[in-house]
Amino acid sequence: MIIETAPVAPVKPRRNGRFTLLVTVLAVAVVASTWLAVSIGAVHVALPQAWAIVADRLVPGLVPRTWTPVQEQIVWQFRLPRALLALLVGAGLAVVGAVLQALVRNPLADPFLLGISSGASFGAVVVLIMGASTLGGLSLSAAAFAGALLALALVYVLAQRSGRLTPSRLVLAGVALAYLFQAAYSFVLQQAQSGRAAQQVLFWLMGSLGGARWEMLPLPSVVLAAGLTYLLLQHRPLNALSAGEETAVSLGVNVHRLRITLFVLTSLLVGVLVATSGAVAFVGLIVPHAARLLVGADHRRVLPVTALLGAAFLQLVDVAARTVAAPQELALSIVTALFGVPFFLWLLRRRSVDRAVTVT
Amino acid sequence: MRLDLRGVTVNLDGRPIVHEAGLRVDDGEFVALVGPNGCGKSTLLRTIYRALRPSAGLISVDGDDVHRLPWRESARRTAVVAQETPAELDFTVWEIVLMGRTPYERDAADGERCARALDRVGLAGAQDRVYATLSGGEKQRALIARALVQEPRLLLLDEPTSNLDIRHQLEILHLVRELGVATLAVLHDLNQAAAFCDRLYVMSSGRILAGGPPGEVLTPELISQVYGVRAVQRTQLVFERLKDEAEP
Repeated sequence: MIIETAPVAPVKPRRNGRFTLLVTVLAVAVVASTWLAVSIGAVHVALPQAWAIVADRLVPGLVPRTWTPVQEQIVWQFRLPRALLALLVGAGLAVVGAVLQALVRNPLADPFLLGISSGASFGAVVVLIMGASTLGGLSLSAAAFAGALLALALVYVLAQRSGRLTPSRLVLAGVALAYLFQAAYSFVLQQAQSGRAAQQVLFWLMGSLGGARWEMLPLPSVVLAAGLTYLLLQHRPLNALSAGEETAVSLGVNVHRLRITLFVLTSLLVGVLVATSGAVAFVGLIVPHAARLLVGADHRRVLPVTALLGAAFLQLVDVAARTVAAPQELALSIVTALFGVPFFLWLLRRRSVDRAVTVT
Repeated sequence: MRLDLRGVTVNLDGRPIVHEAGLRVDDGEFVALVGPNGCGKSTLLRTIYRALRPSAGLISVDGDDVHRLPWRESARRTAVVAQETPAELDFTVWEIVLMGRTPYERDAADGERCARALDRVGLAGAQDRVYATLSGGEKQRALIARALVQEPRLLLLDEPTSNLDIRHQLEILHLVRELGVATLAVLHDLNQAAAFCDRLYVMSSGRILAGGPPGEVLTPELISQVYGVRAVQRTQLVFERLKDEAEP
């Protein structure tokens, strides 16, 4: 088909410059918040010193030693792995939220809504309370992932009807299963022999990075890097899918396969993340929306911005969680709720306003 | 022959919705598909663009069975303009139109293609507006621009004018006609279908009852059989689009 060429409108100026600037600013924020997280705490380590300890570990002898072994141990053994885990969990949960919102085309979707993290929590609780032997020696991560996959498979089966998956059924099935899994792990908790163990699990369920160790980092890093790469390569099918199933089909997207891939990918991510840090609420819900407010709906921009924003956000949340009520630590979900609930309400109001106002 | 349907049967939840439908659309033709609500015309159209699978029969575009083509290949041949794409996410007009390139590899000329298509549908100045804030007619034109950058050989329209006022209905239909792409359009309004199409097919209860030039097909007998209304021919107002009128 030939399109007339007569009056050619100017090609749209690409706003890549602004986008690059935003990504740079967010990357700086991620580094700065991490630096802050490593320095702040019960044992104070000055910012330059925290930097020097990390530099010395990476390149021994690079900087003259001005710190005590205790400071070094705190920064290197505890705060840095914790800070890095905060980045991974924040970025991962936020990206999962963005993908699920596109997948079910519901702005209120997050890993909790679809029951995935309840399933992951169930798997993790079973291992924590009843011991790894009950699930054939599965590790915590593997059990959480198995739980996530089980939840996802059930949601998928319940939500589909004659081979088609409608977003509304998906959400309803997800909410129902989330309650089921919550009931299941509450039951396991109630049966727990030790009250102390149960309390620890409850705290962990609301999100805590307190258990962060270096050896917990590789798996989530690999899964997140691989997942994010795949999603960025698929940003055009994702855009089409978020515009509607039939639109995606008519644009040549194999919707069925894409949906299954996205489901497995998000469950994998949620599974490994929940296994390390418990179920941190609201990150997956509010961060993608904040990203879209900044860069619009195109996933080529939304995904990287969501990841960076989620990482910096959870880093600051974790700093607040361990300093606000020190020496006691707050569960992460308590802090994220402080930001999340007002944002959520604002979002609801804004969307209803959106529908009423037509730009002339 | 662009589109050829033979013996197409479609079941939904085990119920037959379309029964042994056959039709064709030739190069450059504008063909309408009409029929009462629930007759299966939208279902048939959705089966052509692969939102549904036929349980029997053959649908071929340019000689190939669409349902056996790779997804991207069938989308390169056939573009769809449905009633209105509900968009919860705030895509801009530009992003919506650029989606038409999804079945193709990314290309340096994509920007120019989008700009031209937007210009063609009269939305050149609206590229940065959020799609959800457009009026019904503008949304429809943006979707036509998206179909244009898809560079299809067959265009499918599913009641493209159902939510529009009379002026915008005529505008959209004229626009599609002038594109010269082989088009199959599900239309609601019989008068409009008769005025715009080269040929039309009438569907009722899942079957195609008649096909041909509108003057031959739309007889009072057929209309009363299909719609259960009496067709009365009388002088009436005819609406024509004013040329080059600025948007009010």
